[in-house]
Order: sequence, then structure tokens, then C-alpha cells
Amino acid sequence: MNLVTSATAMAMAIDDALELDLSSYSTTTTTTTTTTTGGAITTTTTTTTSSPEYDHGCNWNDWSPVVDWDALSGGHDDFRDLIESMMDEDGELNSVRVVQEACISNSTSSSTTDTIRTVDDESNGQDSKGLRLVHLLMAAAEALTGPNKSRDLARVILVRLKELVSPTDGTNMERLAAYFTDALQGLLEGTGGAHGNSNNNKHFITNGPHHHHHHHRDEHHQTDVIAAFQLLQDMSPYVKFGQFTANQAILEAVIQDKRIHIVDYDIMEGIQWASLMQALVSRKDGPPTPHLRITALSRGGSGRRSIGTCQETGRRLVAFAASIGQPFSFHQCRLDSDESFRPSALKLVKGEALIVNCMLNLPHFSYRAPDSVASFLSGSKTLNPRLITLVEEEVAPTGDGGFVARFMDSLYHYSAVYDSLEAGFPMQNRARALVERVFLGPRIAGSLARIYRTHGEEGSPWGEWLSGLGFRAVPISYANQVQAKLLLGIFNDGYRVEELANNRLVLGWKSRRLLSASVWTSSSLDSDL
Amino acid sequence: MFQHKKPSSMNSHERPLCVQGDSGLVLTTDPKPRLRWTVELHERFVDAVTQLGGPDKATPKTIMRVMGVKGLTLYHLKSHLQKFRLGKQPHKEFNDHSIKDGMRALELQRNTASSSAMIGRSMNEMQMEVQRRLHEQLEVQRHLQLRIEAQGKYMQSILEKACQTLAGENMASGSYKGMGNQGVNPHDMAGIKDFTSPLNFPSFQDLNIYGGDQLDLHQNLERPSLDGFLGGNDNLCLGKKRPSPYSGSGKSPLIWSDDLRLQDLGTAASCLGPQDDPFKGDQIQMAPPSMERGSDIESFSEIYETKPVISGDSLGEKKFEAAGSAKLERPSPRRGPLATDRMSPMINTGGIPQGRSSPFG
Repeated sequence: MNLVTSATAMAMAIDDALELDLSSYSTTTTTTTTTTTGGAITTTTTTTTSSPEYDHGCNWNDWSPVVDWDALSGGHDDFRDLIESMMDEDGELNSVRVVQEACISNSTSSSTTDTIRTVDDESNGQDSKGLRLVHLLMAAAEALTGPNKSRDLARVILVRLKELVSPTDGTNMERLAAYFTDALQGLLEGTGGAHGNSNNNKHFITNGPHHHHHHHRDEHHQTDVIAAFQLLQDMSPYVKFGQFTANQAILEAVIQDKRIHIVDYDIMEGIQWASLMQALVSRKDGPPTPHLRITALSRGGSGRRSIGTCQETGRRLVAFAASIGQPFSFHQCRLDSDESFRPSALKLVKGEALIVNCMLNLPHFSYRAPDSVASFLSGSKTLNPRLITLVEEEVAPTGDGGFVARFMDSLYHYSAVYDSLEAGFPMQNRARALVERVFLGPRIAGSLARIYRTHGEEGSPWGEWLSGLGFRAVPISYANQVQAKLLLGIFNDGYRVEELANNRLVLGWKSRRLLSASVWTSSSLDSDL
Repeated sequence: MFQHKKPSSMNSHERPLCVQGDSGLVLTTDPKPRLRWTVELHERFVDAVTQLGGPDKATPKTIMRVMGVKGLTLYHLKSHLQKFRLGKQPHKEFNDHSIKDGMRALELQRNTASSSAMIGRSMNEMQMEVQRRLHEQLEVQRHLQLRIEAQGKYMQSILEKACQTLAGENMASGSYKGMGNQGVNPHDMAGIKDFTSPLNFPSFQDLNIYGGDQLDLHQNLERPSLDGFLGGNDNLCLGKKRPSPYSGSGKSPLIWSDDLRLQDLGTAASCLGPQDDPFKGDQIQMAPPSMERGSDIESFSEIYETKPVISGDSLGEKKFEAAGSAKLERPSPRRGPLATDRMSPMINTGGIPQGRSSPFG
């Protein structure tokens, strides 16, 4: 399979240059293409022979980056289009009208649902249901925060929603709506999701089919977290995109260096550095295998979803480095409870290339308060790092729309994520449901709670902030861009990468931008690349 | 972009034979005939798409209607439209326009009988540029695979650690000894299968985790995992001769603070997913899928073992060793088995002329 992956990935890379079906070149193009073709043919052959009847449902099809049937048939696009059309009507979100529609559809929904369902395409019925859910959610958001606030109305709408959706069953839209409903419920009750545990028993999501014994919760949770994390990586490029883009930029920046020091804002389980180490031990240019030092910022109390502590991560990295022959040392830099970063607390070594790595908002990451991030980034400025790699969520601007607008945008955002997972793995419902439960659901709750608290005001992207601090942009190389495209090619054609600035790549699903990776350097001449 | 439906009879030695149908379409004679998108056909396609308002508005159905070409199916159009749409995306700016033009000119040159000396000279330059870019892309591709694998191996250590933790807690039927040392070979699969019941792991049939049927599961998981993503599964998938990720000689060099010995644990994947009541039905079981693949392991191994021969030949030189070889030929001698052992056979049996060999068993 890997063969096919690489074959098709390479084909895609080549094909971008050619813009035509390479099959027509099979007799005359470069050797590599032919070889790939040959390999791919053989591989695919044996794969398909083992499951000859799976054509439409053939997982090879579903998985293949070459063809995205769903995109073309429009099956899963519907919801996004819905949202888009609603946002675009009259040039802005016309929430009042939507609320009215929601109330109307609310009252007739039960009969309409059945009617529509029995009439025609299943997809038509689902579209309608999807639309209804969106209306209801928007109505609830409006009721909660709009000019005609009514907690009672919100409560009623949420009750209705809960009847219609489940976090583990149904379509993407239904499951997504379940999490959004739950999040709104939290806001309504004032428990919120920002600080709360995702397993708050008041919410119907956790009262569902999962019965955790409280004292077992953490270990149990740990296993779930790890499994979900593995699945997330297998099913989507959301983790690897930012990490690989950052790593490639780092590698290019330290080609001639013998000592590298990386300060990692949020090391989590440390997986980003596994591939960096691999690249360092096998690099051919410059001094062979430089010494790598990583300082991880660690926080006091956890209680977050985690795959082990900072120390465990350190041990793991040390072991991994040893196993591949990478000279390595690991340090921790403890942050106070207010998470203010004191650069002086770092041990710096003369002659080392200093890299600052800041991964934010990856799906499996915990939320970090803006103050903490700001403290870190400003502090970094005083260190004059060779490079700063920043990965953050790409949020669409919503202007003055307030809570409801950001709520809807958030709905749009996560629907894209859900769709992307489903497009790649349509049969793996439970796997996706796990990822949704462990990572995305809590994310949604937390995100909405924050939006609620800040009344829909959005902060500016951290990239802009860096720029404002005086950091210079570092162009992203051709190789890095190619890597990103190849990576996405492994998953699904619906993913796309855009170069929104010469130092910034943005990963998106279909037309929705999701994740931004950017590269910076401090403006001191010492750190010229 | 490749049409991925390559027919079974094709290998790199054969070139697809093309026939021209009545409708003027050029089809290959493979068992699954593939449409050849000639310049003319493509131009008609572009015309139709333009008429319909652009690639985002046009759908395969409407295009088919507008083009009115007999024998052209939705199937053909779907994939071609997709490529076309992709080609219109912003990230196309990655490629030089000159390269694209050059390639188009190349294609024209090939498809039209006449050759033009004028084109010839600048063709060379463009060809070289294209070659250079292609080469760079291949390099990136190779590195990407290695990096993905590295992350896979790292994940493996996380999975195993979690396994140990669970093993310690559950204390199910004593020790894990006999689960099979990962370093021991064909007995791996047997050992793990045998321990399915005593440890109360669900039987294969129960493992409907991902929905769909078993074959689907393999198919869908298989690909990403064989890329090195699902590190743990590699071990099981390929069954034999797979030392544990961190051990070269059977000793565990890992610096864990716990006492547990990796060796005795067997594969991580197999541990993940105990059957406590609270857990039941909740968790996605990572392991079972891989164990589940037991039944298909042999077939997959067989598949991979036959690959290198074909691919190697097509290159005109043996770039990979035979499948059964356990030799590692990675650049840095310092590198432990970790980095390369877990290489999925797919990588090495592939059409990627990378001069690596891989062990897989």
C-alpha cells in the first residue's frame, strides 16, 4: 500500500506539472514514471484481487488521493455548501430570518423529516435534516446571546436538538450537531467547556453509551487518548502537516550547524521530533548528525488530556534518539502557574542554533491561553532565535457578527474537519467517533466557551503578532511545499495546501482553510539564514 | 495523475495497447480499458467546462451531455474533472508556468506526427528543468516516507508504554510471557492468536470496530499503516522476523523507568484493548485490527514478496534486494535496526527507485 501511496503521491506531484493524465504518457515519459506505474500496477492488482467486488465501496477508491468520488458527487459537500450559502445570503449572516425559519421548521420538522426521507434520495433527506439542524443550532445560539435573548427559548431548542442528534450515530452533521448542542448546553448552564472536563456528567454526551467508573477514568482515558491520537494521525494530515513543514524549515536553517537547540512551547508527546531526528541522522550536507538539544516548557498541574507528562516525553525522546544514533539531550523549563515565560530560565550554549517551535491548536493539543502564548513569543524575541516555527488554527474573519457569527463559523470549521475524516474513512464510523469524542468534541466545547466569554471578539492570528513584534518572514522552500503536497496526497484529494504568504502554508479541506504553518526569524543580522 | 485501476495483467513490461473506438475515443486494451485523454479530447472537455461556467460549476453529468462524446462515461469524467479542478487550485503556483507550457508543448509534439526543429532546442531546456524538478520531488518523497516512518516508530513506543501500564493494571491471567518475543518470527502470529482467549481479547469476529467487514478494515487501515503510521501493526502484519523496534539483539535498550521488559510483552498493539467491563464497547481497540489481519497476513506477505522482482526489472537495474532479505542498507551505520526494520515492504517493492532494500518477513 505504501507503494501505491508513494506512487500516486509521486504521480500527483509529477502530474501537477503535467496537468494531464499520466496514463497517456506511460509509453514515453521518464523512467521513474514508468517504474512507478509498473510498481503501482502490480500493487493495485494484488490489492484489488483480494476484494474484487468492492468497486464503488472499494477502499482503494475511497482512500486513493487520485479520485475523490465524494467530492465529485457532492455527497459530503452539501453541508458546507449549506453553511456557505447561508453566510453569503445578503452578504452577511441573516440570523433573524434564519431563526424564524428555524422556528417554523422546528414545529413541522418531525413530519417533514419522515416525509422527505421516504420521498426521494437519502441524501435529500439528509440535506434537509442537516439544514434543519443548522437552523436549530443557529437559533439556539441566537437565543442564547442575540438581541432577543431568551434562555428558555434556548433551552427548548436544545431539547429539540438533543432528540435529533447523537454524538456517536448518524451522519457527520448529526454527530457534529450533537457536540455543538452539548457545548451550548454547557454555556446555558454556565458550566462552560473551557475549564471543564470533557467528561462532565451533566452533558448527555458522556451519559451516553460510555459508563466510566470514576476511579478508572484517567487510565481509561489515557488509552482512549492514545488510540484516538493514533487514529487521528492515520486518518488525517492535521498532525503531520504543521510538524513536517516546521521540521523541514528547521532542517534547512541548520544545515551547517553542529549544535541545535530547540525550545518547544508545547511538546506534548514529542512526536514531532522523531522525524526531525531521523532527518538529522541521515542528512548528507554539512556536518553529519549535529547534536540536538530540546528544551520543553512544562506546566504545573495537568488534568488535561495528555499522553504522559513532559518527563515521560523526555525519556521517550532520549530513548528514540539513542536508538537511531542521534546525539541528544533533553531539558525542561518549568512555567509558573501564570505561564509567563522567562527567557533567562533557559540554558543557552554558545554557538548553538536556536530554534523556537510553537505548535498551537493541533487537534490533540490542549488549549493555551493567549497570555501564555504572548508571553512566550515576546520572550522569544529577546533570544534572537535563528528560526521560529509557528503552527496555528486558521480562523476566518467574521467581522462584527459577534457570538453567532463566530459560532456559525466554528460550525463550518468543524464540519470541514468531520467531512475530511469521513471522506478518507467512510466506513470507519467508530474510529472517527472516537477521535471526535476524545479530541474534537472537547475542542468544540472549549472553543465555544471562549467565544462566549469574549462576546465573539476574535484575536488576531499569532503570525500577525510575530510580524508586529518585528520578526521577519522566512520563505518556505520549494522542497517544503512539495513535501506538504505529497503529504496531503497520501490522504485525500480534498485536502489542499495554499501558499498564502511566502512564509506561510495553509492546510485546508475543500474550500475551508484550517491550519496555518509559518516560518519566521528574528531580524537581527546574526540570524541570517 | 494515475488512474488507479490498473488491470491485473499489466506489469511494467507491457505497454498499454491502445485502440481507437468508433466514437474516436482512444482506449487501452487492458481488461479495464482506460481512456486516453488526448489533446483533442481534453480541449473538448475544456470547452464544455467553460460553457458550463468553469470547473466548479460543471459536473460530470452536465459535461457528458455537453461534450456528447459516445463512450465517454461519468467515470472518466469524474476523475478527469477532479484533476482539472486540482489543476486550477492556487497551489499550482508551485510550478513554473514555463514548465507547464513546456510539458504541454512536449505532449503536443508527441501527439502530433510532425516534429519541429524549432521546438526542439527550447524543449531541451524545458525538459531539463522538468527533470530537475522531478528529481527534487522524488527526493522529497523519499525523505517524507522516512520521516513518516520515524513518527510511526515513535508512536510504537507510546503504544507499548501504554500497553505496559495496562498490563500492570489488569493483571489478566498472569504474565505476558509467551505472547511471543517480537524478535522471534513465525511464532509471533501463532503466539498472539493463541493468547486471544486467555487474555479475553475479543475474537476476530467481534471486532467490528470500524464497521464494514473485515476485508474493508484491512483495506482501509492497511494503507496508512503500511506507510508506517500504525507502527504496531507492521509487526503483526508482516509476521515473521521483526525485531522489536528498539532492540537489535533482543535486548531492550529502552530507558524506561519501569521494570517491565518489552520483550515479554509481545506487541504493543495486542495489549491495547483490555476487556474490562468499563472498557467494553467503549474503546476503539487498536490491537485487534492488527491481530485480525492474521488471516490475511500470509496473502499480503506473498504479495509483497513477489513485488521486487517486477519493479526491479522495470528499472533496468536491481534497486532492491529480494523481499526475503533482511539486510539493511541504510546510509548511517550508526542507525540501529529501529529505523529500518519496520520499513514496510511496500516502500521497497514500490516503483520508487531509491536503492534501498528492506527487510520484511
